[in-house]
Amino acid sequence: MTIADLASVPFERAGDLASLCARVGELADSEQPFVLLAGGTDWMVEQELRKPFAAGAEPRVIDVSRLDKLREIRLEGNVLSIGAGVTYWEMRNSPEVRAHAPLLERMARDVGAIQIQARGTLGGNLATGSPAADGVAAVAAYDAILVVQSRRGVRRIPMSELQTGYKASTREGDEIFVAVEILLPGPDARWYWRKVGTRRAQAISKVALGGVARVEAGQVVRCGLGMASVAPVTALLPRTRELFLSTKLEKIGPVQLDKAVDSDISPIDDVRSTGEYRLHVAKSVVRDFARALGARV
Amino acid sequence: MQADKPDSHVVGTSVGRSDGVAKVVGTARYVDDLPKRPGELHGVTVRAPVARGTLRAVKFDPSFDWSDITVVQAADVPTNVVAVIAYDQPVLASTAINHAYEPIVLLACADRAKLARAKLAVHLDIDPLEPVLDIQTSLSDQNVVWSAPDGFGDKGTNVMKRYLITKGEADVDAEHARCARVVSGTYSTHQQEQLYIEPQGVVAWWDDDGAHVIGSIQCPYYVHKAFLKTFGLDAERIDISQAVTGGGFGGKEEYPSIIALHAALLAKKSGRPVRMIYDRAEDIEATTKRHPCECEVTTGCDADGTLRVLKMRVLMDAGAYVTLTPVVLSRGVLHAAGTYRWPTVQIEAIAVATNTPPNGAFRGFGAPQTIWAIERHMDAVAAYLGVDPMDLKRQNLLVEGDTTATGQVLRMSVSSTACLEGGLSAARYAERKRELDLENQARAQRGERKRLGIGASIFMHGAGFTGSGERMLKGKAALDLLPGGGLRIRTASTDIGQGTETVFRQIASDASGVPMEHIDFAVPSTKVCPDSGPTVASRTVMVVGSIVERCAREIGDAVKAEQARGGGSFAQAGDRLLTKGPVTVLRQYEPPDFVKWDDTTYKGDAYPCFAWMCDVAELEVDLDTFEVEVKRFHIAGDVGKAINPKMCLGQLEGGTLQAIGWALSEELVWRDGLIKNPRITNYIVPTALDAPPFETALVEAPFEFGPGGGAKGIGELPMDGGRRRSPPPSSTPPGSPCTTCRSPPSAFTPRAWAGRSANDNLPEGSQPRVDSTQAQRSAA
Repeated sequence: MTIADLASVPFERAGDLASLCARVGELADSEQPFVLLAGGTDWMVEQELRKPFAAGAEPRVIDVSRLDKLREIRLEGNVLSIGAGVTYWEMRNSPEVRAHAPLLERMARDVGAIQIQARGTLGGNLATGSPAADGVAAVAAYDAILVVQSRRGVRRIPMSELQTGYKASTREGDEIFVAVEILLPGPDARWYWRKVGTRRAQAISKVALGGVARVEAGQVVRCGLGMASVAPVTALLPRTRELFLSTKLEKIGPVQLDKAVDSDISPIDDVRSTGEYRLHVAKSVVRDFARALGARV
Repeated sequence: MQADKPDSHVVGTSVGRSDGVAKVVGTARYVDDLPKRPGELHGVTVRAPVARGTLRAVKFDPSFDWSDITVVQAADVPTNVVAVIAYDQPVLASTAINHAYEPIVLLACADRAKLARAKLAVHLDIDPLEPVLDIQTSLSDQNVVWSAPDGFGDKGTNVMKRYLITKGEADVDAEHARCARVVSGTYSTHQQEQLYIEPQGVVAWWDDDGAHVIGSIQCPYYVHKAFLKTFGLDAERIDISQAVTGGGFGGKEEYPSIIALHAALLAKKSGRPVRMIYDRAEDIEATTKRHPCECEVTTGCDADGTLRVLKMRVLMDAGAYVTLTPVVLSRGVLHAAGTYRWPTVQIEAIAVATNTPPNGAFRGFGAPQTIWAIERHMDAVAAYLGVDPMDLKRQNLLVEGDTTATGQVLRMSVSSTACLEGGLSAARYAERKRELDLENQARAQRGERKRLGIGASIFMHGAGFTGSGERMLKGKAALDLLPGGGLRIRTASTDIGQGTETVFRQIASDASGVPMEHIDFAVPSTKVCPDSGPTVASRTVMVVGSIVERCAREIGDAVKAEQARGGGSFAQAGDRLLTKGPVTVLRQYEPPDFVKWDDTTYKGDAYPCFAWMCDVAELEVDLDTFEVEVKRFHIAGDVGKAINPKMCLGQLEGGTLQAIGWALSEELVWRDGLIKNPRITNYIVPTALDAPPFETALVEAPFEFGPGGGAKGIGELPMDGGRRRSPPPSSTPPGSPCTTCRSPPSAFTPRAWAGRSANDNLPEGSQPRVDSTQAQRSAA
């Protein structure tokens, strides 16, 4: 499906967030299939891959790309809020993101090509729930809070409680992602981004790692990790994180670190890579992150 | 209209592309952009879901409304064969299914959404059979999956084609025994998808004049030939035209015959125009790819590195049908000895059938596979001798007066030394090798995880058809004088993005004296243009361009003679000639007299001349992730004479990037004969960001029979190089040469890496055995 083909898709457009929540609630109640369309960069690909719909069984498409409320980037105190409809290109160019969450700016540069960055949104990545999403790995590194809204009100889901399985989450059927909130780690926090694909643009990760840490006197005191394409969900590497938080950097050894990664993930073979390669690279990039923090691994 | 030519020449200048503006502003009309014809239907193909089997029945879901669907099956095909070389491939499979994605049923409907549902309502009842999916299994003949049509292959086996090239001493093994150093190795290369940006597509319709096809087509006369056979039509009732074509690279050489036959079958049965456009996945799955190849090489040389004997066995996987395999294998075997002097040669080449979609034409046409093998092998020999690979290659390099493996004496236009020395000195090869070694040592000390390396290769590519091919083909071109002193070029040579139209207009302008802007290029069409031979084999400029040049010179001279007789401008003189009737010159290619070739012994002048090239690549490899970045790339390439220097650079650099993609990232993932990654998102071609900075020098060693002052064919040449495997020779860890061309990062794991270094510490005097299966086993 091309952007030109989008014109042939019948869609309705939400006027504001409240009416969108009401409409989504109604559709959820009636169990009619529906899809919220922002940039369309995932959905359009799915249209190519899926089997044809039976006549009359097409989902309702609701265009949310013009809801200004979803496109805001706001800094309030030490919380940065990024609207679910913010594109990767906007993230790359936002002064607030560049100043306070530079990992997101860096990650956004690696998403697809510029054309994809200009349409793809953070909320779209969260909603489709692909474990290969670079954006989700990066917000996971900030221990982000996902803000969802429905006709029942607003709810906040910590990243660690969002994903429950392959493309499955704790978001309810009538809830919409509206924003990602990040408690800023401070200007002296370290951040790390490494995407291992096979080409320098238009690549889906074989492995990607986002990391954020604060180090005080040789000890990691805040640590968030998000790894893409190594598990059915974005891998948060809890044991690896625990190792960082519980052990002085100088005491962390390579074997210990590899073991922690081993116990966090068991990547599989697919068309993009092998489980063996992914595990090897996962360990390598975690070591690289640890070295960047000052560990000798 | 002004027509008197100013003194300036356009050959040798980088004039803008004739097709450039229309393509940039979007007014160029590719086949899917062509206006809908009245009553037009869409066509789709129902394909085999298994690699091999027997088709028992085709069932059409009775609950589906078939009233407005046109259905075509094998029984509807007048003569069910795709005419290419051998007549073994059906237009639609009837009983035997020989590869996955083999076409079985064609459907057409005006409503695309309904057509997609109709495809799901066709049920194929198939008894699966054990398929053969690789060269070695096929070669064992335990499961014979191909029946040889008359005149092809070995009866009762999977062997489709064999060649044997011999030179010098008859007993190669005895020659090896006499050599101080003998090195053996096996080198394999994997498939590659052409990935032209525009997928295959055609529109077909019938009327009182016969069959019409317009489409994304590299060789209109191939489609014409297929229609002659399948429909049994008279030649003049077949009209095949090219639409603006978004790339081909060989992928639109023979395959368009199939999609055009399919669309025409649906159009005939429905009585309506039918448009068939493949989507990307169908295009990757069903159409041709580069032949996988395995080369077993054993060479012997003196202690000082002087090469004595080459023994080689070239094995290619043809896929399920012959298509162009005999020709691909031929070009592969003719380039297998590389650019080196071998007093004694024995090269055996075998193509075998498997149950995979037929492999076919792809830029380089068999040569990239064998040249890669011999270049890797020369690196192995150099490592064994303890010398720099380029010193060994220089020492044994073919130069003017030398004799190739087929006994061809290189008489003219031999630029091997100019390319080798030009490339190495521009890249500062020897100095950079030392500098990179020092840098790598420093990085190792600093605990850094990336290493640098440099590698080089030298290769050549024959221009035009092999041996007596051009003599048999009798390629033709025509030029017409137009009112007002203009010209029109009529050839069947298509511009598929490589610049044919621009270059032909440049050649015709200089030869006739008519300014380029007054020279038209007729859309290649079998109704309008004579058969110039196919747009393949690096022959368009050198061969067809030289016919264009001759025609243009004759017309220009005729008009100038009239001008001298009757006065006035060139245009006025031309118009006077036109009052007496049309002025057209049609000429046939005349190959140089010296080209002598014996097809039975495979001896003689394989090509009238060769283009030469040297690549020098600097790479950086990440020891943790095995990612490879090409940091710099130097090219010294001999084009004979650059008609349009900028477009020559485009060919050399674009072809090189295509070769780099093949080596570093492109890989088809197969499971049970089916392709698991038929999309651009997971078949990884390089992007502009992956292109290294190129430093390209055009070397000009004119070929006196080429147009424009000596142009040679260069379309395929760059694809023969560009593939320095990772890690590069001077990087750490040093190892035995990689022997599979396939080097995506995931092909390397710590265990595979260890496997590659198995020959590191050979006892002195022992003979290294380079075995590609080692790395593959470790990676598995």
